[in-house]
Amino acid sequence: MLDVQNISHTDQHAIQPITNHDAPAVRIEHLSKTYPPKLVKLKQLFRRPVTPPVEALRDVSFDIRAGEIFGLIGKNGAGKTTLTKIIATLVQPTSGSVTVLGCDSIADETRVRAAVGLATAEERSFYWRLTTEQNLLFFARLYGMNTRDARTRIDELFERFDLTQYARRRFGELSTGNKQRMAVARALLSRPPVMLLDEPTRSLDPLAAASMRAVIRSLAQDTPPATVLLTSHNLAEVEELCHRVGVISQGQIQVVDTPANLRAQNSEHAQVTLTVCEVSSAHIKTMLTANTLDHYDDVKFDITATFADDANHTPQTLITFTMSDDAKTLDKVIRRIQTAGGRIIACHTKRATLLDVLEAYEGDGKS
Amino acid sequence: MLTPVPQLLTPALSFLRRIRAFVVRDFQLATSYRVEFGMRALSVLLVVTTFYFVSKIFASDSGRFPQWRAPLPAWLIGLAVLNYFTVGFSSLANAIRSEQTQGTLESVLMTPINVPSFIVTSSIWDFINATFISFLYLFFGWLFFDVTYQGNFLTAILLLLLTTFVLASLGILSASFAMVFKRGDPFGIFIGIGSAFFSGVIFPTELLGSGFQKVSNILPTTYGVDGIRRVLIQGQTLAEVREPLLILCLFLIVLLPFSLWVFSRAVRRAKREGSLIQY
Repeated sequence: MLDVQNISHTDQHAIQPITNHDAPAVRIEHLSKTYPPKLVKLKQLFRRPVTPPVEALRDVSFDIRAGEIFGLIGKNGAGKTTLTKIIATLVQPTSGSVTVLGCDSIADETRVRAAVGLATAEERSFYWRLTTEQNLLFFARLYGMNTRDARTRIDELFERFDLTQYARRRFGELSTGNKQRMAVARALLSRPPVMLLDEPTRSLDPLAAASMRAVIRSLAQDTPPATVLLTSHNLAEVEELCHRVGVISQGQIQVVDTPANLRAQNSEHAQVTLTVCEVSSAHIKTMLTANTLDHYDDVKFDITATFADDANHTPQTLITFTMSDDAKTLDKVIRRIQTAGGRIIACHTKRATLLDVLEAYEGDGKS
Repeated sequence: MLTPVPQLLTPALSFLRRIRAFVVRDFQLATSYRVEFGMRALSVLLVVTTFYFVSKIFASDSGRFPQWRAPLPAWLIGLAVLNYFTVGFSSLANAIRSEQTQGTLESVLMTPINVPSFIVTSSIWDFINATFISFLYLFFGWLFFDVTYQGNFLTAILLLLLTTFVLASLGILSASFAMVFKRGDPFGIFIGIGSAFFSGVIFPTELLGSGFQKVSNILPTTYGVDGIRRVLIQGQTLAEVREPLLILCLFLIVLLPFSLWVFSRAVRRAKREGSLIQY
């Protein structure tokens, strides 16, 4: 791991990602944040009601490994944005600590900021009357870059984000998708080893969102790869992109694991629907429910006769059952249908999603 | 691919680039409002013209006040200086407020710039702008209305800078207030109204009467305006204006450390409350 403690303020740009992928790039330990009520004494003096303090985060601890895309999911107000802003040094924690590449977010605030790039969905975070190029040039200079290096970097980013044609256009004239890309481009200006992406696909159309996901994926494929903390309400996106996911609810981290493990913890079973033709429903029923099926005593089949949505209304059978994730059941069922002369024309598998996981923790299930 | 960054920079060079970044940005923003830019210059000309006619009416009765024998130069200098002082006082708080209201404060503070550097560098454009506007007051007076200035301009600039630093100290208090309470800045109201009314910008402070003159005596702007007029109108030397100079130095010695202390407390509080980027 790179020793960033010894990096001076002036060579902050030299901070590089740590190369050991098991080492944490971001370490969060017993982090709590309580927003105190404002002007308490004044309100008490005038006998006005005093609002209670807001506990945004409670004893949050987890690591984000170097080079991974870490997803943080939770309801509105769960504490995602507060956590992101504490890592970005914009908000100070009440207790606990955050270290980024070994630097404490309070004691080494400037170094942490140099190592972190934050991209939010907030469009007003740019100067709307300046062009996209002028905006990025301004921020590049704040990072201490000279004009030549800044322009070179901006050109690279424009090319990467397909923004070259908008270089001379005012920021306010860009589409939402391009504004969002500008936010990520700005966060990448100083090549930070850690990227914080706060709902980067919010308000984007499906094509722009797909394009943004490709960009996020590419960050983890850079050499060396960037470490990404992604918060999003789009759970399919989190599942698609993230190596690990943390579920946050009421300011507390409920669980951290891979998307597959989270799904498995929520439900070990998958629901399978097979569409079969060229064999009668009755025959399938007899065959599948017979005791001759080894190891399938606990599998319940729902067998329905139906017709295909074609001109001939070909007879079909829909077979629905629930199985564990190992797929051996599916394999044997398919073989038995084929032995009986049936032809499988469709197979749909429905597994637990991150939404099921989130609901379990937000509901009265596991939380 | 992420490659190592361009070059290592000395802190001074880095700081200069940040100053440049803010000045260039603010120039670009200012020139994007061309009509407003022209209107401001025109409004200065209108004010100068108005006071030219006012001076014709009251000129005969101002003989007992040495600086006001010809009221127009007194007014022009007063207004030029007041404009500069107002910026010195308000630009620091405005730097925070305008970024807060634009929504850009968070993204600026995400760069490796600390809050004090940000406030100082982002207010420099205001000073450049104020210098230009103040120059217009004096220039239009000279160009259109035969106003002449005497004395040593460097001494006047010294007094101007000193007063501006004193007001900037108050500005730091104002910025601290804006950071924590966002609105209703009492320093702004006090200094804004007080400077124009009590500091002798429009009329001699002696006309206020002894009660109100005590208020005038505690305002640094009173000494700044008086000192600069003594130089530019009465032609006094550095030695002759040492009294307002020393008083301004005293203000600075007391106010600057105090305001910096308050400011550091305000930044800490805003970060603790998470309200730095709220407005």
